[in-house]
Amino acid sequence: MDELHIGVSGINAIDNPGPGIGVARSLKEDPDLNVKIVGLAYDAMETGLFMDWVVDKSFILPYPSGAGDVFVERLLYIKRNHGLDVVIPNLDAELPLYIKHAATLADHGIRTFLPSMEQFRLRGKDRLLDIASKINISLPRTKIVNSVDGLTQAIEDIGLPVMVKGSFYKAYKSNTVSEAVSHYHDLVAEWGYPILVQQVVTGDEMNVVGLGDGEGNSLGLVGIKKLSVTALGKIWTGVTVKNEKMLAAVAEFIREFKWRGPFELECIVNGKEVFLIEINPRFPAWSYFATGVGLNLPSRLVRRALGLPVSPVPEYEAGKLFIRYTYELVTDMTNFQKAVTRGEAP
Amino acid sequence: MHKLPYLAINDEGFIFDPTSGDSFQVSQTGLQILSGMKADKADGEIAQALAETFEVSLEDAQRDVADFRASLKNLNLV
Repeated sequence: MDELHIGVSGINAIDNPGPGIGVARSLKEDPDLNVKIVGLAYDAMETGLFMDWVVDKSFILPYPSGAGDVFVERLLYIKRNHGLDVVIPNLDAELPLYIKHAATLADHGIRTFLPSMEQFRLRGKDRLLDIASKINISLPRTKIVNSVDGLTQAIEDIGLPVMVKGSFYKAYKSNTVSEAVSHYHDLVAEWGYPILVQQVVTGDEMNVVGLGDGEGNSLGLVGIKKLSVTALGKIWTGVTVKNEKMLAAVAEFIREFKWRGPFELECIVNGKEVFLIEINPRFPAWSYFATGVGLNLPSRLVRRALGLPVSPVPEYEAGKLFIRYTYELVTDMTNFQKAVTRGEAP
Repeated sequence: MHKLPYLAINDEGFIFDPTSGDSFQVSQTGLQILSGMKADKADGEIAQALAETFEVSLEDAQRDVADFRASLKNLNLV
């Protein structure tokens, strides 16, 4: 097979890791895809720029803002001057631009495999009640508020403690009304309205990474339970699980919404009850876990995007452990200097 | 849901529940009781085998089986 140049963003493997390195490693592990990874970075210090055993060539991109013309032009520059056959965007903030310009990119030979804009909007926390009821799982009691009065009323209705959440990002546990009001103002300032007030539910934190084909079929799912998390709430150790109710709900999610592309569903499982907490319309940072248990979702995505054969979904085994660890590399300044001065490295 | 049929049990008494992701360690006595339950044997039959294996009275073995079953119930495994 000819070399495939696959662009991967989110290549900053820090304490809040982007998903890109796990995606890139997965692609490199498919023996039948001759992959060269093109790292798509926003900062010259993103770790992927220096991880030459994972990322073959990196480019600095402009931030994904405005209409996206400059952003698209940068991708086309990479296509012309280096090669770019497929892009797997892994950061929430850049997804709307990729979805909006998917047809333009495809016209220039850059394939993506993304949800539609309507599907992308489903990740909004104000849509979760509708989704949860359609896929037969629970949602913690949730109120959508747009004022401090609404917030205090919602807390009265739900009872403390509550989670105060931005519509798309960030969530804070609040044990008092004044704490909730403070978080409310922070979230409004950062992400705008509406704000969600949600019942705190207890149980095991379980997540699913999956890939939908856009026609209602699953191209693979893996369920995991977080065994330990960092101070930022990011998984540090985990174990594969087969919680039938959760997996059935996720399969229904793909079927009902004809989801296209990768996604992560975050749930809290308490005995027989499964609560939907969040939907992320991209690979999670731990997606290499799925590859490690025999389900290489990034590779399957690329094959689907290029119209290559995709094998039947393999079974994975419950009880496999995921252990994240720290590592250091020492290198000279060359890549950093090239990324800063030329916008690409090496 | 009766989880017993789905539990992964190894020879050293390590138990993994694939539904919840929880894991447990049981003694050789617990392992023999659990294996008997998984094979759908009656508690009396399990106690009898236990008494023979560990050379204890049938009464003690019956009490051990009952206690163990109660522990499994507390853990929502049976």
